[in-house]
Amino acid sequence: MPHKLDPNKNRIQILRLLVVFSLLLLIVALFRFQIIQADKYISLAAQNRLRFIRLSPSRGDIVDANGAILATSMKVFNLMGYPQDLMKKGRLQLLERIFLRHGIPISKKKIKDIIKKQYTVPYNAVTVLLNLTLAQVSDLISDPEFPEFLFPLPVMRRVYPTGNLLPHVLGYVGEITKEELENLGEKGYRGGDVIGKAGVELVYEDKLRGEYGEEAIEVDAKGRRVRVVNRKEPMPGEKVVLTIDLNAQSYAASLLGGRKGAVFAMDVKNGDVKVLYSFPGYDPNSLAWGLSSKEWKLILKNRDKPMMNRVISGTYPPGSTYKVVTAYAALAEKKISPNTTYYCGGAFRLGNRTFRCWKKTGHGTENLERAIRDSCDVYFYQVGLEAGINALAFWSRKLGLGEITGIDLPGEADGLVADPTWKKRTFGESWYLGDTVNYSIGQGFLLTTPIQMARVFAAIANGGKLVRPRLYMGRAVEVQDLGLSNKTLSFIRKALYQVVKSGTGRPAGRYGVEVSGKTGTAQNPHGEDHAWFVGYAPSKDPKYVAVALVEGGGHGSSAAAPIVGQLLSFLCNGSR
Amino acid sequence: MKKFLRSLFERVYALREMDFLTLVLVFLLFLVGLVSIYSATAGRGDIVKYFVYRQAIWGTIAFGAFLFVFCVGHERLLKWSAIVYASVLFLMALVLIAGTVSRGSQSWIDIGTLLHLGQVRIQPSELGKVALSLVLASWLSRFPPNKLKNFLGALAIAGLSGALVLLQPDLGTAAVYGCITLAALFASGALGKYLAILLSIVVGCMPLGWHFLKEYQRLRLLVFINPYLDPLGAGYNVIQSRIAVGAGGLWGKGFLKGTQSKLYFLPEPHTDFIFSVFAEEFGFVGSTIIILLFGFLLWRLLGIAKIVKDKRAKIFIVGISAWIWFQVIESLAMSMGLAPVTGLPLPFLSYGGSSLVSVGIALGIVQSIYVSTKKQYRLTLD
Repeated sequence: MPHKLDPNKNRIQILRLLVVFSLLLLIVALFRFQIIQADKYISLAAQNRLRFIRLSPSRGDIVDANGAILATSMKVFNLMGYPQDLMKKGRLQLLERIFLRHGIPISKKKIKDIIKKQYTVPYNAVTVLLNLTLAQVSDLISDPEFPEFLFPLPVMRRVYPTGNLLPHVLGYVGEITKEELENLGEKGYRGGDVIGKAGVELVYEDKLRGEYGEEAIEVDAKGRRVRVVNRKEPMPGEKVVLTIDLNAQSYAASLLGGRKGAVFAMDVKNGDVKVLYSFPGYDPNSLAWGLSSKEWKLILKNRDKPMMNRVISGTYPPGSTYKVVTAYAALAEKKISPNTTYYCGGAFRLGNRTFRCWKKTGHGTENLERAIRDSCDVYFYQVGLEAGINALAFWSRKLGLGEITGIDLPGEADGLVADPTWKKRTFGESWYLGDTVNYSIGQGFLLTTPIQMARVFAAIANGGKLVRPRLYMGRAVEVQDLGLSNKTLSFIRKALYQVVKSGTGRPAGRYGVEVSGKTGTAQNPHGEDHAWFVGYAPSKDPKYVAVALVEGGGHGSSAAAPIVGQLLSFLCNGSR
Repeated sequence: MKKFLRSLFERVYALREMDFLTLVLVFLLFLVGLVSIYSATAGRGDIVKYFVYRQAIWGTIAFGAFLFVFCVGHERLLKWSAIVYASVLFLMALVLIAGTVSRGSQSWIDIGTLLHLGQVRIQPSELGKVALSLVLASWLSRFPPNKLKNFLGALAIAGLSGALVLLQPDLGTAAVYGCITLAALFASGALGKYLAILLSIVVGCMPLGWHFLKEYQRLRLLVFINPYLDPLGAGYNVIQSRIAVGAGGLWGKGFLKGTQSKLYFLPEPHTDFIFSVFAEEFGFVGSTIIILLFGFLLWRLLGIAKIVKDKRAKIFIVGISAWIWFQVIESLAMSMGLAPVTGLPLPFLSYGGSSLVSVGIALGIVQSIYVSTKKQYRLTLD
């Protein structure tokens, strides 16, 4: 590398001097602002009495398909103050005294904790008391000792007029947690904001939420509001219209009548959810307005699990309702035909094991239609063995079992569609034919949620289309054509019609609408059997599918079938 | 392989010949930055640790980049300057297509999550500052700008990256590129009349450029002239920042005691307005020390440029000095309301990974130049 002697050494020296000169200019400028004019700016900073208050928007209403209000917002008042004012000596004591005088017992220490929890900077207002009614606020303000550094701020609170009728659909709102704040930082949430915690409130949070406004106000030396400098109005949230029919929902609740279980109904063609009821439930009002941690623990510890949405998160063996899947699988794989007959003597022997039919005396010789009608177990043991476990698992999955249905609610359970690979992996055991026998009548390594079974029956009713259930009217309808054989489906529909007409499902057909469906009685290792009924109506031109599951309810025929029958009649004919 | 290891060992060994004064100055400035970032974000609750922690990690990464570049050596980088420049141009073009928009300009590429840093995005226009200095150094030493042809060639090369940042649009960075180019041309002996014509064209085109500015950019310039034009919008920052600096007084209000910076008056107190935060809490004394640190650093850098024999290295150092100088002047003047708001970081202090890594790389090259120069002098003395 040839190094030329540089003729421009001087130029670099010039640059150096320029740097020094420019930096000196900066120091001169600093000197002007920080020394000569320091007093002016120090007093400007001291007078900088801008305060920022966040204005909460009114959260969007949630209404049912007919416009009945399920969740709305109500105006109450919060008492606000600035930490820098509140924490001055003696002020907390004053507050304690005044609050007590007006019937609000709250200790000095508690107030201090409340302030500390919300503290960010001394200039940001914190909430000292919340959820005061207009009467309470006017009472407080008229107190001669009421301090000027406290001011009432109207805020919107969530109320659920329907109480504990559909908590699992609506969910509830609550104050944002630290974790949520970190995860949702990008969306402009702040501590103290209210956010959807479960159900529709959670799923459609972005729509319901609205936009917070902000008010910049100038205050005087005592913290009194002098003028509003800038105000951004809060934007109210959007209204969310649900597909739910509140009347039907409340009817379903009365039908279940305090028994543990789930009732669900939807449109067979587009998956519009009409009824989604799970009992026991809870009152979202109490959660939205704040529970003590003790009350929370009580709810969480409750062995009946009131927070669990049994329709979508409860997994149960489907019992005999699963026989339609067994039948379809065997027919589709051409292992049997509708005319295949088996003899039922009340029990079926496989090797040295005996599998009983629910009817101890046996059904005699049955064909497929009659076997579905009578829910003959022995018949289906053999159909299941003919089809084989892989075909059963394949068709179960095809019909949407073992995976979530995609309803717009959080916390859906997958259920379980086991196969030999699963058993090997989980228990390290091979699959026995006995497992298949159990499987074919919906027992054993098979777990479904009520909503999954409703979807299976909807597919049978609507000609083989798997619908995605939806709660929000604005959500796209998603229907997946499974390409099932129409001939087979119409045969199964005929059999399901017979179930209610002359078989085990007769109690479902007494309410003025022709119902097709299937009973189920699922063995429960922990106690009484679970009662199932899944059905659709009207049989000729199916509109709605409904499922009822009564935990420990005993026979599907007596416990669950009447619920579905009455609910379908209500949905098809309106209230009588 | 053995040869490679040997040369690597030599490079590592050469580290002890580094200019430690520069290193110490930079380290001090970085520490001041950490302190200021802590203070700037202290009002935001738990997030405090997050920013300081990330900045410390970025500082470590930048130091790693510094060592790496030092080991690669300036010779290689200057030889490959065209390739380096082309790849950075490619990244900058990519930003325009697939970049992330933040604060009004599309300058970032998301590269996913990394280590404990969470979401990481890089700003190729920061790397562009190093690459531009490199390529100008090679070009101008080979084709000295005492001929108009060479002068225009250098302008065309710089114009490529300049156009790409203007498209983002990032006016501040474009101005830095302009400053680097001008300084490089000046140091490489461009004829005075060329420079004079260039400057007058730039000044002459300013009214024309007004039409190309976005609304918010115009507003920033307008409020610079008169902050009270929009006292609660764009002008608010300028007014409040000046109050912050002025309220610092002689000694400052003390660490974490600044009230101005704890208000929400600055949208980015830990990046663009980091100096205001510092000046409010450490006053005239502290601010002057910062300026002196930068002064020593730039004096030293240009001093190295003076003694270096390799002309390319000389021009390169002038380029990066111009970059640091411009950002210091702009950032400090902006804090006092003496320059329009541009969003340029204050080197070593402002929160931001790309900026730290870029200066780390630039200083790695400078140190490499310094070490080799020292060796040459020693050889001549022998």
